[in-house]
Amino acid sequence: MTRIHRRKLLQLSGAGAVAAKTGGLAAILATSRAPAYAQGASVHWLRWNDFVPSSDKLLREKIVPDAAKDLGITLSVETINGNDIQARTTAAIQSGAGPDVICALNNWPQLYAESLIDVSDIAEKIGKDQGGFYDESTVVANNGKKWLGVPWCIVGARNSYRKSWFEAVGYNKFPETWDEYRDAGKKLKAKGQPLGQTLGHSFGDPPTFWYPFLWSFGGMEVEKDGKKVVLDSKATLESVKYAVAFWKDCCDEGGLAWDDSSNNRAFLAGTISSTLNGASIYLLAKREPDKYQSEKGTPLFQDILHGALPKGTAGQFSYQLPHTNMLMGYSKQQDAAKKFIAWIHSKPVYQAWFDSQAGYSVGATTVWEDDPIWSKDPVMASFRTVGRGAHFPGYAGPADRRAAEVLSKYIIIDMYAKAVQGMPAEDAVKWATSEVAKIYT
Amino acid sequence: MAISEAVTQRAFVQAPQRSAATRLLEDERWLAAALLLPTIVLLGLFIAYPFVEGVLLSVTDTRVGVPGHFIGLANFKALLSDSIFRVAVWNTFVYTAVATVFKLALGLWLALLLNRNFKGKAFTRAFILLPFIIPTVLSTFAWKWMFDPTFSVINWSLFQLGLIHGRINWLGDPYLALISVIIVNVWRGVPFFAISLLAGLQTINPELEEAAAIDGARPWQRFWHVTWPLLLPVTMVVVLFSVIQTFADFQLVYVLTGGGPANATQLFATYAYQIGVGTGLLSEGAAISLAMFPFLLMIVVVQLLYIRRVEVH
Amino acid sequence: MIEGAKWRRWVYFYIPLGVFVLWLLFPFYWMLVTSVRPDRELYRPWMAPNYAPFWTAHPTLVHITDLLTETLFIRWMANTLFIAIVSTLISLFCGLLAGYALSRLKFPFAGSLGTGIFITYLVPQTLLFIPLADIIRNFRLGDTPWALILTYPTFLIPFCTWLLMGYFKAIPRELEECARIDGATRWKAMLYIVFPIAVPGILSAGIFAFTLSWNEFIYALVFLSSAEQKTVAVGVTSELVRGDVFYWGQLMAGALLGSIPVAFIYSFFVEYYVAGLTGSVKG
Repeated sequence: MTRIHRRKLLQLSGAGAVAAKTGGLAAILATSRAPAYAQGASVHWLRWNDFVPSSDKLLREKIVPDAAKDLGITLSVETINGNDIQARTTAAIQSGAGPDVICALNNWPQLYAESLIDVSDIAEKIGKDQGGFYDESTVVANNGKKWLGVPWCIVGARNSYRKSWFEAVGYNKFPETWDEYRDAGKKLKAKGQPLGQTLGHSFGDPPTFWYPFLWSFGGMEVEKDGKKVVLDSKATLESVKYAVAFWKDCCDEGGLAWDDSSNNRAFLAGTISSTLNGASIYLLAKREPDKYQSEKGTPLFQDILHGALPKGTAGQFSYQLPHTNMLMGYSKQQDAAKKFIAWIHSKPVYQAWFDSQAGYSVGATTVWEDDPIWSKDPVMASFRTVGRGAHFPGYAGPADRRAAEVLSKYIIIDMYAKAVQGMPAEDAVKWATSEVAKIYT
Repeated sequence: MAISEAVTQRAFVQAPQRSAATRLLEDERWLAAALLLPTIVLLGLFIAYPFVEGVLLSVTDTRVGVPGHFIGLANFKALLSDSIFRVAVWNTFVYTAVATVFKLALGLWLALLLNRNFKGKAFTRAFILLPFIIPTVLSTFAWKWMFDPTFSVINWSLFQLGLIHGRINWLGDPYLALISVIIVNVWRGVPFFAISLLAGLQTINPELEEAAAIDGARPWQRFWHVTWPLLLPVTMVVVLFSVIQTFADFQLVYVLTGGGPANATQLFATYAYQIGVGTGLLSEGAAISLAMFPFLLMIVVVQLLYIRRVEVH
Repeated sequence: MIEGAKWRRWVYFYIPLGVFVLWLLFPFYWMLVTSVRPDRELYRPWMAPNYAPFWTAHPTLVHITDLLTETLFIRWMANTLFIAIVSTLISLFCGLLAGYALSRLKFPFAGSLGTGIFITYLVPQTLLFIPLADIIRNFRLGDTPWALILTYPTFLIPFCTWLLMGYFKAIPRELEECARIDGATRWKAMLYIVFPIAVPGILSAGIFAFTLSWNEFIYALVFLSSAEQKTVAVGVTSELVRGDVFYWGQLMAGALLGSIPVAFIYSFFVEYYVAGLTGSVKG
């Protein structure tokens, strides 16, 4: 009976897994991977679904053929929802098969350090050729001993806001302090034009707003030595209390359920007046002026400007989203992948991609600040320097795996979310501190 | 045994080429072994062995790509003080209990309605099973769009009917989010309950009800004293199935809310996934999943005992 | 029928039934309308004055065509179909044999084996998927449909087994006894006498198994990597949510089209499906 069973399976499959049991390793490899020897090696690159669709289009239509021409490799680009990249990476590492190069966000490379190939040689060269990496890029991609990945870019975050609406409540410039922002927000919400910010679980907008919010009040997770947890401070408590009031006075309360694209949709639909986001809102509205119109019927993009996050008592902080290309340890195409990484980060090749981003992201190296793209559209001009001075979760300590864990568990964001939903501020802070302490011990 | 001997004797006359294998398979025990072999191999390899691995994983501190060391029950101790875990446990129980009660009540009602003869009965019966047939992930997306804070058709309808004046924040308010998830789960499950209970209803002899009616019993009394007790065995089995599925539910919450807002809809399975696969803390994820097992076992045992008791009656 | 006045019939029967049917089927209508609604109508907030949810004046097929041409949707359908069919066949095979053994044969540990198979149904998938990933890696099955074809039977087999046990229990033993008295071997009797009678049960179990594997998500999410290998459920979830925009038009089109094969098979075999459901419940 069992023999028939196996034969039946073999007939149905042609080879496959049963071959493993009966001993045909070569057979499996031959059937489960398309033979690429004829065309040269193949490299599978996993990235997020770009918020600027034309960049993904460029990758597929130009970069892929160019890679075949210049390097003789077959490049396949896969894009998935940014929130799923972590899970995919874990699953790929565990099952020993997956993309060769993964473009990770935040400081995720620190979480996978043991499963990544050392790319210090490539990274050092790129850094030298292109004026050095920004601090933020270095801190997330380098663990002090080696480069875990090669920094790809930094996605800038600024407040997109409706110029005319802010003018109508008396602000001709974007508010510079939290008090001013709150005042404007109160007036706008009263007119049915609230501010919009997400307090949900997503990799992009929640951390880029709430971490700098915390920092601008003077709060932080750990001391510079990375050991002492100092979240439980007066500054943090202040920030939580302020957040609760701020939320009720000014924000669209649906924000608790928002992910990274909800605020974009809300802004484009005209239900909120300002939101911290990448430049994707403006760029999309500019690309399709007929589809996105203001309530007066004029193209929406003409009413959009970008402002920096307001200053708090401790100053002005920001957190910009770094991307890093990691070379996975399980990859069977390490040589080809290394060549690919060196090639795609090189100035001529990267230039095309950088241009397609239209300022949505800055290069991870400083040389891109001098690119002519920044003089093209004044609305995008402020994005040029987002790479400078950005801080990273784990501040003031290092951006290591413990910081990545706090980030992945959304502890800081949940601290604010709980308080907004009614938990007393002291309890929220205590809860967050104990959770962070557990990770840092 | 006597019969088989008689068979073998006669068989010797009629079919002389019986192989040793065939003779062996005449024995019930060997035949059973042969028949069960594929199942045991598959389940052993892909459930029993991974289960043991999973248990071992939960008592180490393995992270993705980093093999771990034995740390005893430290993961479980940490879970006890993990407030998100406590929330997930609470949510899972509430979710399962409330959804099951509603599925049972509504499913029963629908079954009673369908138990009558009306035009298009077969058609209706076939169509209403659709929510149960369609892949959960796909239908949940439809609901997600229906609940979306900015574009919700439900809000619009309620607004038009004058029942609400502002917006209902289905997926943003923690209580409403849990309610929304329960609504979608009930929507999916009612057809299963309805069809199964309908089949149960159809095996009940209508004369019993008629006799009760002649005796003067009102419809409600007829139901409670005649129909319900006879329906109980089927009901308990359906409830058992449903509870097992709902307790371990993953897809629905993953798509609809991702566990949010702020863990208000976090369940065992979604939390295990977020910690294990999302953050790469494999052993902690395994501990969370393992923690599910005793609860589930307890619920199942209780229900099975109840079923046993009901059957004895 | 409900005795009494006509209004009673309406209040106690037609209206509740109508509400049920409406509630159960509305989301499908919604999926349909959204898939053919043009983008500019799609992104109109519900407070806007011209929000017209239940129909669209300008239906368009662009979402469906985009779905079919710009994504690997057709490939995903093919993958899912392949995986579902093969897993169903494997599970039916195992379930048939195991169901027969557990319900018709006497042997030691029969009871505990039956219980054991039941217990495996309780083991949560979230516990198994990491160790399974290790096994998948060792067999080099990562990112292939075989990873799923071999793991799906873990939850399909228990189900098929119970279902078929129920059917077998209803088949009188005398049939086999007669055949064996006539000289048939035990397993020939099983194969040629009992199995043919159980064909309705086999069909039911098969359709149920097919539906369950079409619906599976977690294992597909974890074990499959490249876009070409994905199943419909995973593909729609991961590839149609692109950055800013949830491409709702394509998402709903994907949801609708992804449900069609199952609904199609189901429509031909409704009776078997229902029988399977109720049989599993009673058996």
